Amino acid sequence: MLRADNVSFRYDTAEVLHGVSLGLSNAGLTGVLGPNGSGKTTLLRLMGGLQTPSTGRITLDDRDLSTYPRRMLARRMATVPQETYLAFDYSVLEIVLMGRYPHLPTFAIEGPTDLRYAADALAATGTLNLATRSFATLSGGEKQRVVIASALAQLYTADETEPGSHVLLLDEPTASLDLAYQLEIASLIRKLNAMGIAILISTHDLTLAAAICRDLVLLREGRVLATGPTQDVLTESMVKSLYGVDALVTRHPATDHVLVIPVDSANE
Amino acid sequence: MATHTQSIGTITTCSAVVAILVMAIGLLSAQNSSPKRIISLVPSVTQILFAIGAESRLVGIGSFDRLPDGDDRTAEFVRVGGLLDPDMERIFTLRPDLVVLYKSHVDQRQQLERAGIPVLVYEHAGLDDIAKTIRDLGARSGRTVQAESIATRMDTDLAAIRAKVDGRPRPRTLLVFSREPMALRNIYASGGIGFLHDMLETAGGENVFGEVRSENIAQVSSEAILAAAPDVIIEIRFDEYLREDVIDDERDVWRRLSTLPAVRNGRIHFVTGHRFVVPGPGVIEATEELARMLHPEVFATPQIRPAPGVG
Amino acid sequence: MTEVNPVGTVTALGVENLRWRLLTTYALFGGTALAVCLLAPLVGPTPISLRQVFDGSIPFTDNVDAQIFFIARFPRALAGALVGGALAAAGVVLQALLRNPLATPFTLGVSAGASLGAMVVIIFGVPLTVLGVPAVPLASLVGALAAVVIVYSLARLRRQGLSTNVLLLAGVTLNSLFSAVIMFIQYLADFSQNFQAIRWLMGNLDVSGYQPIVWALPLLAVAAAGFAWLPRSLNLLTLGSEHAAARGVDVLRTQRLAFFSASLATGAAVSLGGPIGFIGIIVPHIVRLTVGADHRVVLPASAFLGAVFLVICDVGARTLMAPVELPVGVITAMLGGPFFLWLLIRSR
Repeated sequence: MLRADNVSFRYDTAEVLHGVSLGLSNAGLTGVLGPNGSGKTTLLRLMGGLQTPSTGRITLDDRDLSTYPRRMLARRMATVPQETYLAFDYSVLEIVLMGRYPHLPTFAIEGPTDLRYAADALAATGTLNLATRSFATLSGGEKQRVVIASALAQLYTADETEPGSHVLLLDEPTASLDLAYQLEIASLIRKLNAMGIAILISTHDLTLAAAICRDLVLLREGRVLATGPTQDVLTESMVKSLYGVDALVTRHPATDHVLVIPVDSANE
Repeated sequence: MATHTQSIGTITTCSAVVAILVMAIGLLSAQNSSPKRIISLVPSVTQILFAIGAESRLVGIGSFDRLPDGDDRTAEFVRVGGLLDPDMERIFTLRPDLVVLYKSHVDQRQQLERAGIPVLVYEHAGLDDIAKTIRDLGARSGRTVQAESIATRMDTDLAAIRAKVDGRPRPRTLLVFSREPMALRNIYASGGIGFLHDMLETAGGENVFGEVRSENIAQVSSEAILAAAPDVIIEIRFDEYLREDVIDDERDVWRRLSTLPAVRNGRIHFVTGHRFVVPGPGVIEATEELARMLHPEVFATPQIRPAPGVG
Repeated sequence: MTEVNPVGTVTALGVENLRWRLLTTYALFGGTALAVCLLAPLVGPTPISLRQVFDGSIPFTDNVDAQIFFIARFPRALAGALVGGALAAAGVVLQALLRNPLATPFTLGVSAGASLGAMVVIIFGVPLTVLGVPAVPLASLVGALAAVVIVYSLARLRRQGLSTNVLLLAGVTLNSLFSAVIMFIQYLADFSQNFQAIRWLMGNLDVSGYQPIVWALPLLAVAAAGFAWLPRSLNLLTLGSEHAAARGVDVLRTQRLAFFSASLATGAAVSLGGPIGFIGIIVPHIVRLTVGADHRVVLPASAFLGAVFLVICDVGARTLMAPVELPVGVITAMLGGPFFLWLLIRSR
């Protein structure tokens, strides 16, 4: 269980987050939804333990993040940042194996277990056939899946001495991807969640949030506007509050997911 | 009959007057044709002009040129830059009628020629060319007598040194121009051409790198020096004066090459002074100093008094 | 959750592969480096007899062949190996730190500081020695360390963490500043001092003795210890600080270790042999093209190849125009230009 209690974050003199509280259950799939500049990325970094809040606390399984040793925390939580720029030409397998970093001492070389987990991660993300390819030659969707596989490999563990939640945090996983890839990633996320991994996504994409997140946290200008199950939280008045846009909230005829359709009142 | 004599007398007088006038004009033109406002960017040329007493015609000298010892008229001469940075503006302001430049000053030469200012191009050459340059400058500045006297004395003095060392065994000598302080690295030695080499040969030494004909100063490795096995090492230093402890420390640096005969026999010398660096009348004294180091038995005391106007 | 045996597929590419690659790196590259260092002193313009070199009955002060071998050539080979290895390794580490394959060991101003230190002694002439150590390499090292301190302080000014952009900017600034000062003091110098100053900047490995190597060795050992810790963290760091942090890397510590180790190696190398260029960028490039990007392989391979490269260049420097010696930095530069041209053509 990953929780944030009344968290604020100040960057230089600007207060980016104020009084944010949210909770992610062990099998949860929660989205942090908000327009650009609302503080989503910062919140995700704080939740992933990459930065420390100015006030308030964040706990994983009731233990403050700052008390976790760095590598132990990395074995429990993996963050996939928004963009990946590679300065050098690594292969897909090398990148996925890098996810095993927190599991290995400094001078150790990856062992058979690590390789098995890498293989599993590649298989889970449908990128096993790309293992020997150079990362730079992949398409946008393939790259994103490989990076997710790397995060996945990071979370795999056979070590029962460290039971507890495993959390995957994704920052804008579908931004700058074509529609087909967006759908791929969306279904991958659902699949991983079904495997038992708690997932926290930050996104400005209403459709994605509505389609896959069971719970939502609406963030506007650093404050929580609303939090709760998707169908309860995503109402027309909330959409208007958050984005300043009129919308029609309904159900997808085929999948029964919440569907938000913006209405352009200027054209009336 | 009186008219006849009168006519002859008149004609003779007139002819004489005309002749005198012509000679006078001729003399005056000769005076006018030798430059009176000389600028020299080359230290050795400046030095020679002082030595032959032509400094009254000098209006501008190079930044690093030196006046003779004891001459404190340095404020009278405008500094116009040197090899790397000739100040053309200043040169033009001085309205020279002769400018002495290095061969590498191609642009500057073109500028001056376009402005109609006569140019003399200087190039570092061998020992023999120094006397030639002295005579040449003497001719141009109307100081032929003085120039001839110095040039002749140079010829005779150098010949005298050659005579003294003639037939004697020539020690293999390494003449070091420059190296890294307190290390045997970046060692530059005199090659087989140039006035340093000529001075060494005149003084009765054999340049260990005499077969290097590509440049007058060449960088050599410690292997090359070990292989060359010089009997004498002479280091030239630009400073006017070196402290004893500095000389001792720098001399000790050579010890590690203990197979060198120069090291084993303690024949490592340091020479200082501009006369080793500027190819002018001072080379006479410099060559004698070298000869004294190479053939001490023959050159007990300094034989040659310093040339006038030389640092 | 796994269908077809992916383990089999991946393992075929996996563990044995990596272990094997590491072993062959050390064997192949290390062996070549060792061989080149031992063979280089045998090559040279002066014919020497090996039998005479190792003839213990001849006193050393009478044995010219032995002095040529042990004073002129062998120290050069050692110095070349150390300097070449240090510069190549520093290049790899800085390229990873700055996430830019065009970074060089000289990018962050260390070499400019070292050059300024050397210039000051060469041109002002004092002091000549400090506690028995020649002043030129010592001042060079002091200059290098000063540059490191300045650049690091500047990079830490703004906020927590070490911003690579600020690091780069600080390095470039320092390079320009120090170059300007160097130009100025060269202007003040007389002909002979300028001569030596300019010549020093072209690099020279003719140490003619073991003392300079002995002094550089502890510094290089410390740098090497730093380098030993870095490879896996560097791999992650090149994905981006965020990625690295997310995987559990202590980003600030890794950056600091990388910066200081690389700077120490560069400072020691430049004090020993002068600022010899192109090794820090050519060698890592070639190595990555042949063995991939994993720093666990790239770092040691580059160090060994850097040693080989510089020793061979130095053999050329002292042999090609004997008895005249060419500056070794000129030789590396002559190889560097065409190398980049080839890279450019290749990338089209």
